[in-house]
Amino acid sequence: MFELQRQHPAAALANAFDIIRANFITIVILIFVGSGGREANFTLYWIIGTFLFLLVWGAISWYRFQFSVEDGELRIEQGVMVRKKLYLTSDRIQVIDISAGVVQRLFGLVAVEVKTAGSSSKEAKISAITREKAEKLKALLRKKTEKSDDSQEAEPVLQRKVYALDTRDLLIAASTSGRFGVALSVVGVAFSQVEQLISEEQMIHFVETIIPRSTNASMIAMSIFAVIAIAWLFSFASTIFKYYDFVVEVRENELLISRGLFERTQLTIPFNRIQAVQIKEELLRQPLGYASLVIESAGYGESEGNSTTLFPLLAKPQIYNFINEVIPDYQTEISENSNVPSVGLRRYLFRMLWISLPVILIVWSSIPYGVYSWFLLIPALLLGYQQYRDAEIARGKDILILTFRLLSKTTAMVKKYRMQSCQVQQNPFQKRLNLSNLTIHVASGNQGRAFTVRDVEITEAMDYRMWLSNGQDGSVISDDEDGEALNEDVDNPDVTR
Amino acid sequence: MRSSPKNKLSHDAIKAWRVSLSIFILFLVLGLFFLWGYKLLSPEDGFFSMWTLIAITVILIVITGLCIFFIPEIRWRRWSYQVDEHEVDLQSGIFIITRTLVPIKRVQHVDTRQGPILRSYNLADVTISTAATTHRIPALNEEVADQVRDQISKFARLAEEDV
Repeated sequence: MFELQRQHPAAALANAFDIIRANFITIVILIFVGSGGREANFTLYWIIGTFLFLLVWGAISWYRFQFSVEDGELRIEQGVMVRKKLYLTSDRIQVIDISAGVVQRLFGLVAVEVKTAGSSSKEAKISAITREKAEKLKALLRKKTEKSDDSQEAEPVLQRKVYALDTRDLLIAASTSGRFGVALSVVGVAFSQVEQLISEEQMIHFVETIIPRSTNASMIAMSIFAVIAIAWLFSFASTIFKYYDFVVEVRENELLISRGLFERTQLTIPFNRIQAVQIKEELLRQPLGYASLVIESAGYGESEGNSTTLFPLLAKPQIYNFINEVIPDYQTEISENSNVPSVGLRRYLFRMLWISLPVILIVWSSIPYGVYSWFLLIPALLLGYQQYRDAEIARGKDILILTFRLLSKTTAMVKKYRMQSCQVQQNPFQKRLNLSNLTIHVASGNQGRAFTVRDVEITEAMDYRMWLSNGQDGSVISDDEDGEALNEDVDNPDVTR
Repeated sequence: MRSSPKNKLSHDAIKAWRVSLSIFILFLVLGLFFLWGYKLLSPEDGFFSMWTLIAITVILIVITGLCIFFIPEIRWRRWSYQVDEHEVDLQSGIFIITRTLVPIKRVQHVDTRQGPILRSYNLADVTISTAATTHRIPALNEEVADQVRDQISKFARLAEEDV
């Protein structure tokens, strides 16, 4: 048993950083408003003052935070202004995350986050304890729930399968990361702000002295190149940070994922929480024959949809092996499939045309050499064609497989009994061609996630809808376990205050 | 689309929708009056031209006509629903027709709700929530709404006891 005790004092620092991270923008605004544009010294004092205040606050909250484990129950007492007592029974605990941020690593510590289905997880976070204690705590809290497996768990250690991402794959994943697009837009915006910081004369001066005989066009080409290069570096680095030393461990009832360079994160996902599996083939990875696996899980108590990368990079032929070994539930023979009929092609092409036309027109009219933006039409239409080719609905025994592409190709696999609702949509244009969109919703986090395949034949869409509706197979058993757990969590929240 | 669900909404739904749409339009009209007043009182202010204002007015009149005379009618004609022991089947939409299917087992909770407009027509909405989505059957007769709500919750309970 765990005695009533405080965390490691480093928690004070960790708490302070947590507050800063959570309220970063507010703090920045506060600092600007507070200093009110006076001289730099004043701003500095203000920053130091804020930090000191947060540190003191962190120290107090460290002092007031005590936790213990009694009768298989995690008890946390905390609160600076308001005293809060949190009692979590172990059989309500869904996920125990052990992670180590920068602060924790400095002191050789870890943070433990306990997540239940209903409550918000913020409050049940022990932000700094030693790893041994964390493991002991985890063992104590897990024991009650997995009593039946206890005897087995001791013996077949060898049976546990472990998959790790090797360095070569990590480098490939990093250099072809889909975050590239995100980074690109961020850098692009930052770049456009440069104009406001540096006056035009300075800019022209810079251009004239540093790059003498360059024409206007090569200037533009160069800056575009620079933006792309910087964005690529960002995405490369952030992917390495995120997926460094990525390991998936397959356990009896759950998957254990650990990853990260500076911030080690450990995630435990019980199998019966998985709502859907996605194979994502990103634009840069697909030509190389690579894809990543993403799972959706429910009941995490998080506001957005909850996707977790199950494995960041797999060669295409390996994927089905991996699924077979790690999540065998999702292995299936495809018994029936349907593609978009050829009349649907023009809808895909026109959609891309409508999307790209405004962009082209704006660029054409607003920047020099904008005429060349018409060349955007070629990749856009090719993308539309590829979207048309990729779109597919298929079904196995109890699994529905939706394949669609926005930029990257996504194959979503949803168990029939995991489906929350199914929609068939038809607009007047589709009606003429007898086409419709099929949308499947699955639970993910507190909200859901939707998968849509566009422009499939209406009769086929309705067939799939029918098939999904009378889903009373043997699959119902595991389904109800889950449904019950969810309902109970909603009815009697396990958090007693 | 093939065989629509069986049950229709209450016929009073059209009136209720007309009222709520009219209230919405009233705000737009107020905004328009303000613009006209502004234009007539200070015609020198070249903020927008007379023609823009006339165009806006015409558009608003068209929208009003559509909203009050056509849209509620079409919406009512499209809407239908059906509840059985396995699923809730909905059809809705004005231009884009949506067929929704919610497996009864997935239903987390059902409620009925009514605002002042619906209450004055003795109508109520039924809201069906799953873990991922929320669906609404609008403007049913109060008794029917209660009945549908109880029915769904009964089926949902049965579906769970089934195993």
